[in-house]
Amino acid sequence: MTDTRTLSYINLHAILGSLPMLCALDSRAGEILGKKRMTVGISVSGGSAAPGAAGILSFENGRCTYTECAPGSPDVGDAKIVLTFPTPEKFNGMIDGTVTPIPKKGLLRAGFLTGPFTRLTDLLTAYLRPKDEDLADPAFFRISTMLMFHVIARSVCCIGNEDAVGRASASYIPDGAVLLAAGNEISFAVRAENHRLSLSPDPTEETITAEMRFADLLTARALFDGKINSVASVGDGLISIRGMIPQVDNINRILDRVALYLA
Amino acid sequence: MKLNDYTKSREAFARAKRVIPSGIYGHQGPAEGCFIPTDAFPYFSLRAQGSYFWDADGNRFIDYMCAYGPNILGYNDPDVDEAARKQRELGDCITAPSERMIEFAELLVDTVASADWAFFAKNGNDATTGAILCARAYTHRKKIVFFRGYYHGVSPWTQKVDYPGIIEEDVCNNICIPWNDVNALHTVFEENKGQIAAIIGQPYLHGNFADNELPAPGFWQEVRRLCTENDTVLIVDDVRAGFRLDLAGSDHYFGFEADLICFCKALANGYNVSALCGKEFLKNTMSSLSYTGSYWLSAVPFAAGIACIEKMKRLDLACVLQEKGQRLCDGLVFAAGKYGFDLRVSGIPSLFYLRRADDPTLMLHQEWISECVRRGVYFTNHHNHFINAALSDEDIRETIEVAEEAFRVVRERHS
Repeated sequence: MTDTRTLSYINLHAILGSLPMLCALDSRAGEILGKKRMTVGISVSGGSAAPGAAGILSFENGRCTYTECAPGSPDVGDAKIVLTFPTPEKFNGMIDGTVTPIPKKGLLRAGFLTGPFTRLTDLLTAYLRPKDEDLADPAFFRISTMLMFHVIARSVCCIGNEDAVGRASASYIPDGAVLLAAGNEISFAVRAENHRLSLSPDPTEETITAEMRFADLLTARALFDGKINSVASVGDGLISIRGMIPQVDNINRILDRVALYLA
Repeated sequence: MKLNDYTKSREAFARAKRVIPSGIYGHQGPAEGCFIPTDAFPYFSLRAQGSYFWDADGNRFIDYMCAYGPNILGYNDPDVDEAARKQRELGDCITAPSERMIEFAELLVDTVASADWAFFAKNGNDATTGAILCARAYTHRKKIVFFRGYYHGVSPWTQKVDYPGIIEEDVCNNICIPWNDVNALHTVFEENKGQIAAIIGQPYLHGNFADNELPAPGFWQEVRRLCTENDTVLIVDDVRAGFRLDLAGSDHYFGFEADLICFCKALANGYNVSALCGKEFLKNTMSSLSYTGSYWLSAVPFAAGIACIEKMKRLDLACVLQEKGQRLCDGLVFAAGKYGFDLRVSGIPSLFYLRRADDPTLMLHQEWISECVRRGVYFTNHHNHFINAALSDEDIRETIEVAEEAFRVVRERHS
């Protein structure tokens, strides 16, 4: 029902791709990073018949940016630390903690990976796989849900582009930008162009053609955790939809598959 | 104009959600029914009569959805209801079927141009699924050709691979080609020689979210020719359009003959029955299917169906509905133009589809529809509408008045 190559895209673009947001939302992330400047390039082979995921994480003054790269992009090799993975399984293993990566480049800087980088990803994990008692803290809940929302929005793009069933859903999405929002707290725009999906860097710059809005972060969280159903929630107004409904409808079908990959 | 209040509908929905998945599921629910925004729409009805229904709060609506098609003569039509009442006194669901079944089949064979026999069930989905079973049994082939934008029910074979509960094997023999694309049709036969059991299509493309498309000249005739040449069964899904275009079947309207044709919705003016009609050469195959249901041979819907078809014939109903639909649509387009909106009507007037051509996001269209519903005209956002015989001139006049007011409100909001 799921494939490891798509999972590697999610692990790179959605999970590690959330580190910039973590740095923006939790000051402890900046403290972990200090003023260190570092770039980490990651390239995953998709196998003989398919491209693999690639991206670059850049750290500077406690902040972080993430750049998605084209498969096999030479830009990855320009990073100070370069991690290459011969298979999606190996990369997914690093995310699970079962595989220890050996840098192809920047071996002498490996201390960044075992030190600040690991502490940063541990902090991210605490938010993305939260304990119930942590979620009782409103500040933690807010950051955790916003990060989760980001992971889900980016995962929608990964699944719509890479997963066989997800691509079937994306094939029915007309061009445009779909706003996914939780109240007025946070919003993302998923762009569709020729049935390829991408996350807009700035939703306010998009011409929105459809919208799926959760009443608030509580509703978003309940949906992400599978405690409420999107169809039922439309009826009681917790989720509102409007605009080009085939976009919302098919993104909703991809959302069903996000849960499979992130389980 | 008074705006509707839906307090009781919402209270009922809160109750419903506790014991019914999603409160109201399927096409009549707020999500699948595209109630946008939801607060403009009623959720539950109290009663219906003629061309109206009243919701749980007592708001009256001129109803252009007609229960999504079944209401063709008007809700509670006295002739149909009287026939049903008489049969109910005799019996409905009985160990041995009533002879009403034979009379109903005889009437359908007499009415529907391509029908040599009739097989009864309950829902449109039963008829389309029966048609696919029959085609596969007859041809001993697996593949089915669909037209993109299709809807043929909810059985696994009708769905898509990304729908919840559907597995790849359910749909791996489905081939989808664009509507009106003769080249694609030729290619699909060339690439799947001797493998296509059936082509299934609605008489014209009445998909949602886009203008409805009539068949291009000669399109159905070419489909027919290729099916005959390749021993492929041609199935027309007339569940939605049946009897609103032509009492002899929508294939007759477009000048060709289906091998199998499926009816439901308007067949018995709301009584629960569907029919699959077919050509003589498929009758033995249909006999061989293991395909039945607890209520499929109930007598009351047969009696209602007989009365409904006889009355539709007497009224020359398809023509009447098309004339009413045309008048309504002309009025709506004129009202839109007064406020600078470009309202497009597509499909057949008795099944008209509305879209605002000046709004690619559909959001302004959704606003306009919601303002109509709040004022008692029940349109829906992205589905074709239905005309019924009880719709009066006064109803049409009132509808256009409400539509114009709704256009004014939307224009003021966005000026």
